[in-house]
Amino acid sequence: MTSDDLPLKGIRVADFSWFGAGPIFTMALAHYGAEVIRVESQIRPDGLRLTQPMPKDKPPGINLSGYYNNFNAGKLSFSLNMASQQGRELALRLIAKSDIVAENFTPGTFEKWGLTYERILQVKPDIIMVREPMQGLTGPHRDFAGFGAVITPLAGLSYLSGFPHRPPVGLGTNYTDYVVNPGHALVATLAALRYRNRTGKGQLIEVAQFESSVNVISVALLDCAANGRVQERQGNRLPYACPHGAYRCLGDDRWVAIAVFTDDEWEAFCRVVGEEWTREERFATLLGRKAHEDELDRLIESWTSQREAEEVMELLQAAGVAAGVVQSAADTLDRDPHLKARGYYHYLEHPEAGRTAYDGPGFRLSDTPGGPRGPAPLLGQHTEYVCKEVLGLSDDEIADLVAEGVLQ
Amino acid sequence: MSEGPLSDLRVLELPGAAGAYCGKLLADLGADVIKVEPPGGDPSRRLPPFFHDDPHPEKSLYFFAFNTSKRSITLDLQRADGRALLRRLAQRADVIIDCFPPGYMESLGLGYQSLRQLNPGLVYCSITGFGLWGPHAHYKSSDLIAVAMSGMMYLAGFPEDPPNRPYGDQSHYCASVQACAGILTALIGRDRSGRGQLVEVSMQEALAMNQETAMQYWDLRRELRQRQGEGRRLPSGEWFRVPGIGTYECADGHVYLMIGVPGFGAPISVLIQWMAEEGMAEDLTAPEWQDVFSRLDLRLLAQLYQGADTSAAQEWIPRFRHVDRIIERFVRSKRKQELYEEGQRRGLLVAPVNSPRDVLENRQLNERGFFQEVEHPELGAVIRYPGPPYRLHGTPARIWRRPPRIGEHNREVYLEELGLTEAELAALAGAGVI
Repeated sequence: MTSDDLPLKGIRVADFSWFGAGPIFTMALAHYGAEVIRVESQIRPDGLRLTQPMPKDKPPGINLSGYYNNFNAGKLSFSLNMASQQGRELALRLIAKSDIVAENFTPGTFEKWGLTYERILQVKPDIIMVREPMQGLTGPHRDFAGFGAVITPLAGLSYLSGFPHRPPVGLGTNYTDYVVNPGHALVATLAALRYRNRTGKGQLIEVAQFESSVNVISVALLDCAANGRVQERQGNRLPYACPHGAYRCLGDDRWVAIAVFTDDEWEAFCRVVGEEWTREERFATLLGRKAHEDELDRLIESWTSQREAEEVMELLQAAGVAAGVVQSAADTLDRDPHLKARGYYHYLEHPEAGRTAYDGPGFRLSDTPGGPRGPAPLLGQHTEYVCKEVLGLSDDEIADLVAEGVLQ
Repeated sequence: MSEGPLSDLRVLELPGAAGAYCGKLLADLGADVIKVEPPGGDPSRRLPPFFHDDPHPEKSLYFFAFNTSKRSITLDLQRADGRALLRRLAQRADVIIDCFPPGYMESLGLGYQSLRQLNPGLVYCSITGFGLWGPHAHYKSSDLIAVAMSGMMYLAGFPEDPPNRPYGDQSHYCASVQACAGILTALIGRDRSGRGQLVEVSMQEALAMNQETAMQYWDLRRELRQRQGEGRRLPSGEWFRVPGIGTYECADGHVYLMIGVPGFGAPISVLIQWMAEEGMAEDLTAPEWQDVFSRLDLRLLAQLYQGADTSAAQEWIPRFRHVDRIIERFVRSKRKQELYEEGQRRGLLVAPVNSPRDVLENRQLNERGFFQEVEHPELGAVIRYPGPPYRLHGTPARIWRRPPRIGEHNREVYLEELGLTEAELAALAGAGVI
């Protein structure tokens, strides 16, 4: 297999997106062979380039952010000053040579640059234009500000997640930025790309991050729409499984998750634990366990807290009970033998950050295995390549553009 | 029947909850997705909540949420006749979605390697807890186990509590979205090469990116990101919240404020001005506070978080508390939608902590016609569903039909499309195969 065989080989993406949800989506296209050109600028760099974490032993730098680098593996970086008329003209020329153009600015930014869908159609009639505004391109809240941290409460995820005695603080991350929104944008784009390949027709795709995120609470929405019920936070519990939660284990902040759905699984769980309380009649059925769940959880924790999380997981899994360590990043990156054997994380040599870890692809293809094909680009690393090979500019023209501050 | 961008595709979706959202995405995009259910119905039809709380397999709202636009046939894969039918269906399919544990379909003689002999163009997608190979491949998983093992659960919740599972089977959504992207990538490859391939999704891997920056903090700095709950704990153990950043109680619930982070919306002085207009700024309009707000920047925060300068913490934390109390009183006097709309009008990053009802009533979603009313004639009801997560303006996705009833399309598929006779169909039904 060479990269020539990757399914998206020959597809070029003019990637104006920044922060999380946009760049992660275009990175998946790069994983499977597309040439993704990040259009960036020294004047207004992607905020993630300025954000921690950066390597501890180096002074901060614009090419060192692990936050940025992990979302931009295998892409090219073209630095372009969009504040200049020439910069905007070059942007349009790049789009004319691309199959896909992606952006996730506040609505109006692309229009301000003259890069409307209608204008782009004049230079590239079958373009697939992907726009990822927060709230959508229309509507009374179109211009509201926000990003992942705001979408989590707005879309209902914060209200529904966590323990009922706690305020709804969300998931500890800008959750929808990392899989939900980039994933939905990717699905829409691939569907449109395949459609274009078959019919010759491109189109405009609008992924309002709010609308995309609302889809992942669909069950609670149907419950409210059909039954008038407003679901509330339930911690780690489920109405149809018990025990179902995270239990403290030996060590500092070590936990194991256990999920028992069927009577068979409960019996297997009891055989592993072997303590007297497991034979109590009141715990014999799901209904009984649910009725005494607080006490059952305390008893389980008295057993798990004397053991290491990995040991509990292995004992229960060997008996056919779903259990897993609540892994930290140190576990997933360094210790999990399974992720290691599967090579999920890729270590790539970056010119400034050194040998650093990158997430692998979220799906694997047997015959055309994609993945990060190189580290994240330095800001402007491929400006000359893009000018010459993609835009066909001469050395003199490039020198003029540099002198005029267009390529910064 | 549909006009969606994938209307040339036929998909067989085998039982299992983790891949149902993948099937829904493909079906709403126009593909003909046939849900293959065991006689009696897919196991997820037994999951709550139910329409009007009636626990009936045709009334599971859980099932409805993940199965719009699909057709349904019943088929017992445990029986030889059933397996023969699946082989015939697989010959005519572009895509199979399989959520059985690794090796199960092979044990029935229906694994990818057998089916590709019948149909070299087949794109076969497997979604499992841990993938098809590796030391944990045989581990049992569930949503809880998947979010735990992925690293994302470790980051959610309060330090004093167990880590939190996110609401609502997020592993199924994430794995399904990744699977759908994998299937479409493989189909684009097939259009060129003529060959299908295996798409492998591990729920653990599908979720791993949700760790945000935790992996990179560990890789680059050997610092472990842990759950913070609300506010921040200093290295000294003291708790504090930067005024204007966090979850605040309001008159009818909570709002999330993110005010004063450089580059993200209007500065805190805009909030204080608003409070002053309402006579609720107390002493914060005094000149010495203006000075305090102007010094509140990222460098100061980083200094406090790292705890290098304990005198800075002693100087600042009492001020933070004072400001925070006044903001709390202001926020508590208002309702969440009022704080949201008026705050955003002033350029402040404010979000309501929306309940499911708030989401259904949200002005933006409704004015954009996001929700879709779907008629369920058998229930005598019209149910409001969330619309597609994206708008393809040339070839829109939509809910083309309500979720199917158990085996609703048996006759259509087996008689009209597979060419069985009435007698054969009756025999299969009599034997319990379908």
